[in-house]
Amino acid sequence: MLSKTAENLYWAARYIERADSIARLLEVAYRIHLIPNATTSYNNEWDSILQTLRIKEEYLEKNKVIKKEKIEFFLLFDLENQSSIFNCINRARENAKMVRTAITLEVWDAINITYHDLETYSKKKYNSKDLPEIIDLVKKQVNLIRGTILNTQLVNDSYDFLSLGTHFERADFTARIIDVKYFILLPNSELIGKDYDNFQWSLLLRAVSSFRGFKWAYGNSDIGYYKIIDFLILNMMCPRSLFYSIEKIDHHLKRLKKFYKKKSKAEELANTLHANFNKLTVNNILDSGLHEFLERFIIDLSEIYGQLESKYFLGAEK
Amino acid sequence: MYNEVYTKSKIRLSYRNVMKWANSLPKNTLIKKKTEAEDLFRKIGITFSVYNNYDASERLLPFDLFPRVITNNEWGKISKGVIQRSLAINAFLHDIYHSGEIMKTKIIPRHLIYGNPAYEIKMVGFKVPNNIYSPIIGTDIIRTNENKFLILEDNCRTPSGVSYMIENREIMMRMFPELFQTMKIEPVENYPNHLLDTLAKLKPKNCSDKPNIVILTPGPLNSAYYEHSFLANMMGIELVQGSDLYVEKNITYMKTTRGKEKVDIIYRRIDDHYIDPITFDNNSLIGVPGLFDSYKSGNINICSAPGSGIADDKAIYTFLPEIIKFYLSEDPILENVKTYKCYDSKDRSYVLSNLKNLVVKEVHGSGGHGMLIGNDASKQKLDLFKRKIKSNPSNFIAQPILSLSSVPIFSKNSLSPRHVDLRPYCLISNKKITLVSGALTRVALKENSLVVNSSQGGGVKDTWILAE
Amino acid sequence: MKIKIKHETNYTFTSEVPKLIQSVKLYPSKCRNQEITSWSIKTSKGSIQESHQDALGHKIYNIFNSNLKGSQKITSSGIVNTKDMLGIVKGLQEKVNPECFLRQTNLTLPCRKILKLSKNLARKSNDTIMFCHQINEIVSKSIKYVSGSTSVSTSAKKSIEQGKGVCQDFAHILISLARENSLPARYINGFLIEDLNAQDHTTHAWTEIYIKDLGWVAFDPSHNKCIDEKYVRISCGLDFLDASTIKGIKTNYSGSENLEVKVSISNCQ
Repeated sequence: MLSKTAENLYWAARYIERADSIARLLEVAYRIHLIPNATTSYNNEWDSILQTLRIKEEYLEKNKVIKKEKIEFFLLFDLENQSSIFNCINRARENAKMVRTAITLEVWDAINITYHDLETYSKKKYNSKDLPEIIDLVKKQVNLIRGTILNTQLVNDSYDFLSLGTHFERADFTARIIDVKYFILLPNSELIGKDYDNFQWSLLLRAVSSFRGFKWAYGNSDIGYYKIIDFLILNMMCPRSLFYSIEKIDHHLKRLKKFYKKKSKAEELANTLHANFNKLTVNNILDSGLHEFLERFIIDLSEIYGQLESKYFLGAEK
Repeated sequence: MYNEVYTKSKIRLSYRNVMKWANSLPKNTLIKKKTEAEDLFRKIGITFSVYNNYDASERLLPFDLFPRVITNNEWGKISKGVIQRSLAINAFLHDIYHSGEIMKTKIIPRHLIYGNPAYEIKMVGFKVPNNIYSPIIGTDIIRTNENKFLILEDNCRTPSGVSYMIENREIMMRMFPELFQTMKIEPVENYPNHLLDTLAKLKPKNCSDKPNIVILTPGPLNSAYYEHSFLANMMGIELVQGSDLYVEKNITYMKTTRGKEKVDIIYRRIDDHYIDPITFDNNSLIGVPGLFDSYKSGNINICSAPGSGIADDKAIYTFLPEIIKFYLSEDPILENVKTYKCYDSKDRSYVLSNLKNLVVKEVHGSGGHGMLIGNDASKQKLDLFKRKIKSNPSNFIAQPILSLSSVPIFSKNSLSPRHVDLRPYCLISNKKITLVSGALTRVALKENSLVVNSSQGGGVKDTWILAE
Repeated sequence: MKIKIKHETNYTFTSEVPKLIQSVKLYPSKCRNQEITSWSIKTSKGSIQESHQDALGHKIYNIFNSNLKGSQKITSSGIVNTKDMLGIVKGLQEKVNPECFLRQTNLTLPCRKILKLSKNLARKSNDTIMFCHQINEIVSKSIKYVSGSTSVSTSAKKSIEQGKGVCQDFAHILISLARENSLPARYINGFLIEDLNAQDHTTHAWTEIYIKDLGWVAFDPSHNKCIDEKYVRISCGLDFLDASTIKGIKTNYSGSENLEVKVSISNCQ
């Protein structure tokens, strides 16, 4: 496969995953908006969304105040915002367009239709009332795209690069959103009471669409920071946990190694990181500091990516 | 105006089934089918990028559901004429880049070759694989009456549109399968296989048994990008951009996830001047540095060969009948359109005093740009062209305004005739020539318009060559 | 005349060059005016490869470099045995029709000032040779030789307008004028031994004009004469750019480069 093709597949999947993540963030914010007297948390929520996506400054530069409609538009359609859902889908499509020979018609179709549907919305003047409808559309379409990838793509190297894109983005996103909200996960925080905690934690779980999953995994008891850390970082059952993502990354890098019959530094690094997770406990993480742990994880992840990039995306040119 | 459906106001046999079908379609079915076709196109991603329209950089190439029908007899003549012409063009290219036998006669004025920027000095004396310079030739043909097909233009470099020939058929077959049962229509879907076979035969000097073939595209912003990826997909070969290739020790490689892979044959869809920034335009970002030296060392073949463009230069077009006679000792099967050469003083004075009845074309222009249609032009535009012709006569040719034949389209309320042309695609690998029985029909969607170019509001039709 | 030449081109790069490919035309032309006793082209970095002989008879070499740091020196050196053939260049290994060299380029496009140079010359159809000598002389006086007064991208038009130039500009003006008079003409790169005692030598440039029955005849408008045994011919082309001896493309390089050329020429006998 052409190096560029691998890169395009990776980024197509990555942008799709990102669009999905943003849609879920917007959904959480929308939910808070429906709860009476939640103005403070509502504003906090916007704040953390912008921080998670690393676009707070960009937004403020353009809009000055944090205002519901403006922020929604900024996250959905603003072409100047690199991380708007529309831009993500557009980029996913541009990447997919470059690799029409490596993806099935069904996958292309799903991506292309998502783009055209969103384009129709983006041309109209934005109305906040449409938000749930648009979020539903994005979620539905993203699931459709994933489904077509799963059902129609050959399970060859193309599939591995697509999966790597999805899981790098997911690992990165989960790590960042926990980090942005890590203060609510700290024990003995004097700032906040129990109900408030519960509320905050449920938001976090919803943001990674794991609220129900969490309940099933841990029973219907209190949420509790300890369990959340366990769930979002260490639980193999949670499809958005760091452990799950790193396992997938390791898995697909191993497949590539086998497929190409060539060793790769990326696989070695992922293997080590994966192995470390096996031994890890919540107490280990809290001892070393949650923030420090996440920071380290993001660095490790980008090192793996760096190796992946130079091995498979930049070609043999060295 | 010659309407291809009728002969003396009676429907021709070849169109009988189609007309019956067209007239029986309820109006709402038609509208439904039209949307369905458009959806199919959009789904498959057949879009046409327009450069100067940054807002909607992709639009659909309008597709009309009414098919163009060509009888087996008519096709027989067309195909013979196209094959003859394609052979002559390649013989001509080989000759002018070697001993130049034709230049020793007085057939073509020497400056039209040696002074022509399309004549590539760097190609002189170089032996291209199988002596084939232009393996894919798209010939633009117009019809002026029931028996007359004329050649309007040759496209020897990178003729585009063949993907529409195939996709238009695909869509028609999906939507109106019943029509294909009542008529025997030659298939076109094997074109990509023939193209691959043709390219595979054009191996460079240093090449393994199984050549590695790629398509080189300028990228997704190019108007024909869809076609590039379509062909790559249908042939099962990589679609590459300049940045995917590099040259090391005069061997051209592509970057892959397995490491470097030698490339043997490039079907390039970028112009000569952009293929290699070392040898040609050093500002080119879409080319591959060192590619030309790799080519001349015999490590790769570039199709079409650099310098092939001289053969479809409009100044050379006028001499094609003589070129055919010179190399093949045959009379041309298909005639040219009568053409006035503005550098010839007699022709020029005729052109200047009859501008209103002529089409004036720039010699190096393409796609209907830089063109004057005399009967449709303002006085200002006529004057402008007069001045232009006088100041640089060799840059222009002129042709009578011919009434292109017409075929109906489904317009709002009824079938209404529109002008069409025809572009078959001829494949030449050595002595073997393949002409798939099919072609692209371009149609001017505006009433009475003679401009069929997709960049200027033209659309396409499925073209049916009848098997018997 | 046996001439020993050493031509060094030294590139210094401000940062690492990921990829550099060069196409080199530095091998002296094979023709009867000069016999190549020995010649070699070397690079201090990267691999060098003989590629092919091009349409104009140049022996093309390619140099390939990856991750090039610091500087690169290309050395072209050897001994050439020259003959004075009254400017007539014979036995060139080329296949290109001379009429191709009637094409003007951006660097040779004529202007009114250039056209005026030959306005009062009566050209007798049978005495093209005389005419060529005359335009060579006129061009040699058309501008003043001032070293450093123009750059590599200066056109004939610009140079004559400012009234000064170097050998490159003299050559371009003569090419422009010859072509306007329907005489094929081209740009030549080479060496000239002017003063054997000089410390610094440079490369030189002149013009070849195609004269029916004689073939290519080399005129040096910087010195108002035809070439003799003191000239060594290296490369030719439509203009300076087309004839240039080293063309290179750097990929993914954002730094700058510094170029230094050193030439030493001596008489072997």
